[in-house]
Amino acid sequence: MTALLSIRDLSVAYRRDGREVAALKNINLDIASGERLAIIGESGSGKSTLALAIAGLLPASARIGGRIDWQMSEFRSPHQPSCLRKTPLSGRDIGFVFQDPSASLDPVMPIGKQIAEVARTHLGLGWPQAYARARTLLERVRLPDPGTALRTFPHQLSGGQKQRVAIAAAIAAGPKLLIADEATSALDTIVQAEIVSLIRQLVSEDGMTLLFVSHDIALAAELAERIAVFRHGELVEIGATAEIVNAPRHAYTRALLDAHIGLDAEPMLRRAGASA
Amino acid sequence: MNSPLLTVSGLAKRYRRGGKTIAAVDDVSFAIEPGETLALAGPSGSGKSTIARLVLRLIEPDAGRIQFEGDDFLALSGSALRARRARLQMVFQDPLAAFNPRATVARLLDDPLRIHGIASRAERPRRIAALLERVGLNADLAPRAIHEISGGQRQRIAIARAIATNPSLIVLDEAVSALDVSVRGDILNLLLDLQAKERIAYLFISHDLGVVRAIAHRVVILDAGRIAESGDARAVIGAPQSAIGKALVMATPKLHRTTAS
Repeated sequence: MTALLSIRDLSVAYRRDGREVAALKNINLDIASGERLAIIGESGSGKSTLALAIAGLLPASARIGGRIDWQMSEFRSPHQPSCLRKTPLSGRDIGFVFQDPSASLDPVMPIGKQIAEVARTHLGLGWPQAYARARTLLERVRLPDPGTALRTFPHQLSGGQKQRVAIAAAIAAGPKLLIADEATSALDTIVQAEIVSLIRQLVSEDGMTLLFVSHDIALAAELAERIAVFRHGELVEIGATAEIVNAPRHAYTRALLDAHIGLDAEPMLRRAGASA
Repeated sequence: MNSPLLTVSGLAKRYRRGGKTIAAVDDVSFAIEPGETLALAGPSGSGKSTIARLVLRLIEPDAGRIQFEGDDFLALSGSALRARRARLQMVFQDPLAAFNPRATVARLLDDPLRIHGIASRAERPRRIAALLERVGLNADLAPRAIHEISGGQRQRIAIARAIATNPSLIVLDEAVSALDVSVRGDILNLLLDLQAKERIAYLFISHDLGVVRAIAHRVVILDAGRIAESGDARAVIGAPQSAIGKALVMATPKLHRTTAS
């Protein structure tokens, strides 16, 4: 498979209280065009920093070393025939879905306009066509009554509906790469499953590459073809999902898998039950 | 069987939103035995956290009764209510949001001991050290500010603060949901140890059926403010009967491991 991007010796450090704190250390990673890759880690693992670095959204104060090489031929599409850029454009070539949809949506702008604006800016559409596209996108993310929904404001929607709108805005310009950073972590289990299934469907229909950042290894395993495990800013191991889940090479990956409490887990209550 | 520690009957709470009345909690009844863990599970908006706040009397119900340690808990007021509150404690999801972030660990543990008159000023430093030890922390953590310590340590402090007043029931509202998985197991084990040693009952509120199944004796599954089903935690989660119970089990991520670890 063609690599959509190759990350070489990527290091990122943030300045905090006058000190430099390493968030990512010498990361080497290829992301194949069209694959679904999960980035797994606990807090402080660097997983969100990696997502921001790929999207070009790191704060200006971050110190970045190494490089990200993009296969720009993968980004040519009917919408942008004469693309001569060396790096993709965030918002057009890369769609980003954050954890908190309330923070990524403008609270005082109708959601239809927010989605149409992305299509207008990046695809050069006029407002009527951009609104028509927004309506189609709201249908695709399965928001009830898309025609009326265009005129609603974020606060009128539930958390799951807001995340659907954020996804619609993220894919409005037809990005090649979709990054979802803990996109379902604030949602309840049922809505989370719906959003994951929606992401899977959209990625497959549009032939997008997916980078799914999560703390939940079970959720990641249900969605991704490959899993990369991060810890303390380092890439611990990467492999096909079945390999990582069934034959982890690294002790930390095994510890993460063992810490998962699934519906088939050994009850922890045993001791208390025995003494009762 | 002993008389229940907590009995909730016909509990109801309505909110008005945009001219409409929404039943956040609608005719909910359950009981918790001493030393038992009862879990409340359900999707967002099912009423789990509203029930927690009603039981803690952070908000007042529109209807229903709450019996706690044999008394009509809703009828208590003033000093009688304050005294009884020592027996009914709480731990929330995010201790950093619940506590003054600049307060020291010692200060946070001193509060309940002082307010409930549990220990004299001279005795309190020793009691604070003992509390830290009971939750598996080193006594030299006492002078540290709460924002300086790790998330797992903070949740241990929240538990230490809750057990400081010798409670019979602790309401745990998504108390392990924000923790890293490597820390979560330790905190759950701490809660189980405390329960085994001190016979504390837990009202354990969680959206995570895996965790509920692992640590709760019984579960109540809520949907839109009403009880959809309830019973033995492993029996209910193993074979849910209600539509919402089935949907929750179906939606829970599953890790298909072929090798035993």
